[in-house]
Amino acid sequence: MITVTINGKEIKLEKAVTVLEAARSAGIKIPTLCYHEQLERYGGCRLCLVEVEKMPRLQTACTLMAADGMIVRTETEAIADVRRGILEFLLINHPLDCPYCDKAGECELQDLVEKYGPTTSRFKEKKRKVTENLQDPVIVRNMERCVMCTRCVRMCEGVQGAAAIGVINRGGHSHIEPFSGNKYDCEYCGNCVSVCPVGAIMSRLHRHSYRPWQVKEKVETVCPYCGVGCTVVAQVRDDVIKRVIPRIGSPVNNGMLCSRGRFGYEFVGHPDRLTAPLIRKNGVLEETTWEEAIGFVAKRLTEIKGKHGGNAVAGIASPRCTNEDNYIFQKFLRVTLGTNNIDSTARMGYAGAQAFIENIFGQGATGNIISGLANSDTVLVVGGDPTTVNPILGLQIRACSRKGGTILTIGHVRGLQHFSPVELDPGAMLETTLLECLVLSLLDRKGLPGSNPALEAKIKAVHADNAEFLKNSCITKEGLADFVDKLGSSGTPAVVIGKDLLQTAGSGYRLFLVCAINYIVNGRVYLLSDHANEQGLLDMGCAPDLLPGYRPLSYAEFRKRYETAWKTPLPEKPGLNIFEMIGAAENGTLKALYVMGENPVFNLPDAATVTASLKKLELLVVQDIFLTETGRLADVVLPALSWAEKDGTFTNMERRIQRVRKAVNREGMADWQIITEVARNMSGKAHYTGAVAVFEEIARVSPLHRDLSYDEIEQGNVIYPYKGEPLRGSAEDIAVQKPAAAAEGTISLAIDRLLFHSGTLSRKSPALIKIYPEAVARIHPETAVSLSLAEGDVIRISSQSGKIELPVVLDRHAGRSSVLVPNIFEGTGALRLAGMGLDPVLKAPAINGTPVTIERIGKVTP
Amino acid sequence: MNTMPEKQMLSAAALKEIQDIRKNYPTARAALLPALYVAQREFGWLSPEAYEAVSDHLGVPKAIARGVGTFYAMYKHKPLGRHVVQLCTNVSCMILGAERLVDLLKNKYGLEPGGTTADNRFSLVIMECIGACGTAPAMLVNDDFHENLTDKNIIEILERYT
Repeated sequence: MITVTINGKEIKLEKAVTVLEAARSAGIKIPTLCYHEQLERYGGCRLCLVEVEKMPRLQTACTLMAADGMIVRTETEAIADVRRGILEFLLINHPLDCPYCDKAGECELQDLVEKYGPTTSRFKEKKRKVTENLQDPVIVRNMERCVMCTRCVRMCEGVQGAAAIGVINRGGHSHIEPFSGNKYDCEYCGNCVSVCPVGAIMSRLHRHSYRPWQVKEKVETVCPYCGVGCTVVAQVRDDVIKRVIPRIGSPVNNGMLCSRGRFGYEFVGHPDRLTAPLIRKNGVLEETTWEEAIGFVAKRLTEIKGKHGGNAVAGIASPRCTNEDNYIFQKFLRVTLGTNNIDSTARMGYAGAQAFIENIFGQGATGNIISGLANSDTVLVVGGDPTTVNPILGLQIRACSRKGGTILTIGHVRGLQHFSPVELDPGAMLETTLLECLVLSLLDRKGLPGSNPALEAKIKAVHADNAEFLKNSCITKEGLADFVDKLGSSGTPAVVIGKDLLQTAGSGYRLFLVCAINYIVNGRVYLLSDHANEQGLLDMGCAPDLLPGYRPLSYAEFRKRYETAWKTPLPEKPGLNIFEMIGAAENGTLKALYVMGENPVFNLPDAATVTASLKKLELLVVQDIFLTETGRLADVVLPALSWAEKDGTFTNMERRIQRVRKAVNREGMADWQIITEVARNMSGKAHYTGAVAVFEEIARVSPLHRDLSYDEIEQGNVIYPYKGEPLRGSAEDIAVQKPAAAAEGTISLAIDRLLFHSGTLSRKSPALIKIYPEAVARIHPETAVSLSLAEGDVIRISSQSGKIELPVVLDRHAGRSSVLVPNIFEGTGALRLAGMGLDPVLKAPAINGTPVTIERIGKVTP
Repeated sequence: MNTMPEKQMLSAAALKEIQDIRKNYPTARAALLPALYVAQREFGWLSPEAYEAVSDHLGVPKAIARGVGTFYAMYKHKPLGRHVVQLCTNVSCMILGAERLVDLLKNKYGLEPGGTTADNRFSLVIMECIGACGTAPAMLVNDDFHENLTDKNIIEILERYT
């Protein structure tokens, strides 16, 4: 126990902390500028100087460790004098443009000068002049205001790991700028904006539109973008989100955000938002009333159910909607319509992979917390770049490297390139063989643990010719040995599995090999998810074979439980999955499809087939916040409230249940309310008083959510239990099917998973569009040479399923023999090129690896 | 920053040298200073491309490399002439006529402090003390040291550099 006395107050400390932290723990304020709790200690601004008895000079409280018996004074006349002096120096070059500066009111410099002075300046020299920099789409820099605390630089390099900005020159000439000296051209996470104590680096989104003290509501909610589930605070004025900021101490992101989370909120107030229901009359979608729209949907669904049975209706749920929305949606289909035909785009890899992993290891959803990655000694990354799909999870991998951990990657991972990754990149064609070689090499080194006979039998059957592989690939024997050595010798390895692994031909076999590696090295699996509630949607039973609580429909015991709770007999037969729905629409057995918050025309492979199938339906209902590609085909379009306008919960990829809170008032209904209205028009029963009532029912019926309440969730850290038992009962045989080798020498499609975009929401977020305005095809320079292409050429990429036209950008981070295309922008989505061919094991489509042909059709006009 | 007339690439020999330098240091960042010298020797100055090349080959983010490089006066950040004249004008040299020498260079060669002659022959850098106060004024031409400079011998010395 350390005892220090600060300003006469005795403070007992459990562990070694700095004098500053000791003082703060006792409620004693010491002024700081360069100190920030997320950053390494720096001691640069000298504002935290304090007197310590028996020490000759004033000491910086932020760097001095509190020692037993220390007597400290923080507010004496001598200290005040020094602080006044420091501030006078800082103000020499400060423009004092507070009336114009957006930071005024929450500016640390302003507050300090207000408290300590000086009231006048003795300096007659001219102030430094720097023009305000508006080169960047989301960040505005006014470096006249900079006080050189270097918080932004330390944040960018030491925490975010982007290292886009640095201190240039020295002494009086030093200033902070990005490499280019002008445009940031960075990850645009905006974490430099968070830590800037003055108005030097600020968000452009709310520039000159409000004052910090005019913010009435500060609503803590969960980011609507990826599966990490970062806490965000929406600051609202007059029902407009003015700014989204992180909160230090929040469980997942602890004060950090990515570009989507921080700058992607403007879709909420986008003028393209649907305001009234639309109904198709004489072939045209026209605005109508809620009564007519809901009455029509209820009437048609009742007719179709009566004529063809409940199984002629299907529903597609949404990984962007809350647990409450998804629970009500599956209940509507199962109870009101009497069908298990419910699925979602989680079928595009996540759901199948989770079931597969659960079958092997007993748990499929990520069973470890995201921040634990930073404490692993080794992280193996397969299946794409985690720093773009789940940026905040990516930061934990970067932190692992910074702490001395080893980063191993299969394939090139751009976002980790400065984190000394040990990389094996044999090219897309040879990745499966590489994984086989790794399994065999690890087996040689470590042997089988002996705990899972079923898996071990399958591992023993793995064959690969190591020598042949080394001959055919660019991988060296030493490189492979080093990789195996590092992976094999790690004590706490983590395996991060991205969607590129799950959306490739032979994905089931690759996933098996990765699971085998994980088993041999005794690792922990992280399954990446690119949607905010992809996990929650599965938990809510939005799958043809699952009931809420992630319980299998085939279990009579569970089915009974829900039949009792819902007072209705449930269909026993599993329903159609999302691909079977398209097939059933095509062949006419499916008559009606209800789509909630999803865009199957864009987010499923083969847009042409999907469109043709949906057109054959008797009734297509689309419920969304924008009129999507799918909405334009619908008979009825129902406008829903967005994430910011409703209450509910999201469950992130680590099974953390978090509250989504209403931040903005808007007329309309949440998804679950609309569904309830339709159900009430059909059966006259359903009624809930609010999202909380829905959640109370979930907590009553779902074994995973038993006895949970909003109150408990609000206290934080609710991760639903997973006691190592398979949620779906005994293990089935582990399906292993080695795919046929792909044809060599062809150019294949690969999805470009962008840091700045997610799809439907991000393309309606002006700030994100400004950062990344349009789709491009990225091609490796060497591949481009072999195809006689140059930067700025426009190419037509064709596959069996479709074609798109895009400008070429050369990118040495792109894989050879593939073309990277994003699935974000209307009309140029990568998925329309992919086919409906599914992996036999995961039942996920093979998107990456789709053979394409490329022809040059022109040049970008400047 | 200056924009380059044409794209610069490090030679294979320079890349090899940087890789060898890297092996002598525990971390990539520690190898940054000598690696930047190699790039400066190649190009005569540190262009954005030079920083990018060094950054790529060492695995150090380019903004960090530039931050380190700009801290030190001996890294140059604009193209220089074939011969770099670094003349001290600190107290001792100033008293013994260094400022007159600066004027002389301007008149004789059209060489301004911080500038380069039109024929790209000389660049002049005014530097702080080079520790030759006893034999002031003094200058460096490239890596050669010259002391006891006068109006006469400075021109004789410089004429040796063509």
